[in-house]
Amino acid sequence: MWRQLRNRFGLPLTMAIVSLMGIWLIVMVLLPQWQMIDYSFHPSLLPAERGGAKDVWSLTNYATFFHNEIHLAIFFKTIWSSVLVTALTLIVSYPLAYYLAKVATPGQAALCLLLLIVPFWINEILRTFAWYIIFAFRGPLNELLFALGLIDRPIRFLNGDTGVLVGMVYAYILFMVFPLYNAIESLDTNQIRAARDLGAGWGRTHRRIVIPHAKPGIATGCIMTFMLAAGSYAVPALLGSPGSRWFTQIIYNWFFEGGDWNQGAAYAFLLLVLCIVFVTAIMRIFKVGLGDIAK
Amino acid sequence: MDGRVTLNQVAMRFGDFTAIQPTSLEIESGEFFSFLGPSGCGKTTLLNMISGFLTPSEGSVAIGGVDMTRVPVNRRPTAMIFQNLALFPLMSVYRNIEFGLEVRGIDRKQRRDKADELLDLVALSGSGDKPVAELSGGQKQRIAIARALAVEPRVLLLDEPLSALDLKLRQHMRTELKAIQRKTGITFIYITHDQGEALTMSDRVAVMCDGRIQQVADPMTLYRQPRTDFVAGFVGENNRFPGRVAAVDGGMVTLDAGLPAPLRGHADAASPLAPGDEATLYVRPEQWRVGSAGDSSLRFGGVVQAEHFEGAWLTLEIALDQGGTVRAHVPQALESAGIESQLAVGSPCRLDYSPRGALVLPGVERGRANEESVDVAATA
Repeated sequence: MWRQLRNRFGLPLTMAIVSLMGIWLIVMVLLPQWQMIDYSFHPSLLPAERGGAKDVWSLTNYATFFHNEIHLAIFFKTIWSSVLVTALTLIVSYPLAYYLAKVATPGQAALCLLLLIVPFWINEILRTFAWYIIFAFRGPLNELLFALGLIDRPIRFLNGDTGVLVGMVYAYILFMVFPLYNAIESLDTNQIRAARDLGAGWGRTHRRIVIPHAKPGIATGCIMTFMLAAGSYAVPALLGSPGSRWFTQIIYNWFFEGGDWNQGAAYAFLLLVLCIVFVTAIMRIFKVGLGDIAK
Repeated sequence: MDGRVTLNQVAMRFGDFTAIQPTSLEIESGEFFSFLGPSGCGKTTLLNMISGFLTPSEGSVAIGGVDMTRVPVNRRPTAMIFQNLALFPLMSVYRNIEFGLEVRGIDRKQRRDKADELLDLVALSGSGDKPVAELSGGQKQRIAIARALAVEPRVLLLDEPLSALDLKLRQHMRTELKAIQRKTGITFIYITHDQGEALTMSDRVAVMCDGRIQQVADPMTLYRQPRTDFVAGFVGENNRFPGRVAAVDGGMVTLDAGLPAPLRGHADAASPLAPGDEATLYVRPEQWRVGSAGDSSLRFGGVVQAEHFEGAWLTLEIALDQGGTVRAHVPQALESAGIESQLAVGSPCRLDYSPRGALVLPGVERGRANEESVDVAATA
């Protein structure tokens, strides 16, 4: 890569590009990350005690987590709910992406994409608030269901996980639709036609031809959606109930309410490890490499 | 197994554009039938209506006497070979061939037997486990044929499948396709813009232009007895002489085309002519006899404008003394060797044709941009 860059831009410019990238990576990514890991292995101390006798490496912060049943439960619930969000988003996005890539005329596709993107010009918190209003006990959704005669008394959507799941699917749908769309779009339409021509129904055509081809796109979409869901704070904070707390909320509490940054760092590091494990697992399951995902 | 294909007044419209004019056609069971025409003539649209990818705007499509107009593509007894073959790149050769059988719920053992049998037919035994990407162009072609034949279609549809191959391989595959068609007895419907392919393989050819079938005939008739100006110009090369009928004598017509000698040619029995009618005489390049400037037995004089050596023959572009340019082939057999030394560019020559080798069709077609035929009087 170094040689390619040098041939294209010449030595001085290449040095500049590479050192800027290096500085960005080190200062913006590696150092803060290292700082957090370092924090997580130290006890929370008063400024005066730092560097003193009590300032030693310890696993106490991690032990706290593994001994707290509620936090453990919330951690696993976050994993499970994020998987659920990812699966739901995939189910919703796949037909949409297929329609955009292979069925819609260019005009229809452009309109549809516009309709998908326009809401994202609004801040995530405001969009989430919109759902808060829709889901409210005396909100429009309940009114509508009531008017249609589907329910005879309002439902408390914001009580359980429903609100959080719907809100997250909505918040992250673009991160699933775009990789899927790109992957399906690159499939030769004659492949679909050939499968149909050989007698395959729509189900089998998707299972055997479209989905295997779109695998890297599915993997990318799932990874992005899962990471965004697992790391989400606004959606569970606004649409969740005390019973549907997210692990990020616990981290937030350690930092800003408990004032224990070291404890919070340990929890944040656990979330990071979880995400890395998930990405690796998905890559194994879908048999895709990092290169396929970066495409 | 009845592989008859019947098109009954089928038409296809896309908005204001009519891709296929109402067309009726009967393709016999077991026939090798080609649709020949320039790109945009509607031949692929017709194929898509037979395969089921398109539903005709009007009319009906029947296969083996059963109406298929509303039957979806996956329920039709047809199989298609795509222009780009559309092999499934993520599957092995076996999996590709077995795909259609798997869909039909045939068990693994039978599937594999059938696939082996087909690999045998296309002379690729033993390559079943290879990934498709490892095959050469010609091998991919054969696998595509095997995959289509696996579902035992009554009609095999081929959409210019040879266009991506190099010349030698293409010629070889023509022979193979024809052989496979004979062996299997399946109706082959072949789409091409390459007249060489259509003429060498087909039992019958339909020449298409602007969404209309111009003529349906066996290859030899198509070449010798074209029915329309388009066919005369598109299939093979032709020199056009538009003029007026001077006399009709049995099957022969004398045409006044403003040349020093009257032009004679045989008329098409299906389109009778009377003196005074506008008509066009067609002379193929190989019908000309070209001789030296002193050969007074040849009626027309001209000057050689250009020559193209094509191996088996020499193509001369000759400017007639009366105006207009004619393309003539001079065979390169040994006995005629030596004549071309007198036919260098810029030298005068004499030329003539035998009236039996010329055809007269009614009407004068002007303004059709067709590079394959030379309109003599239009440039005069």
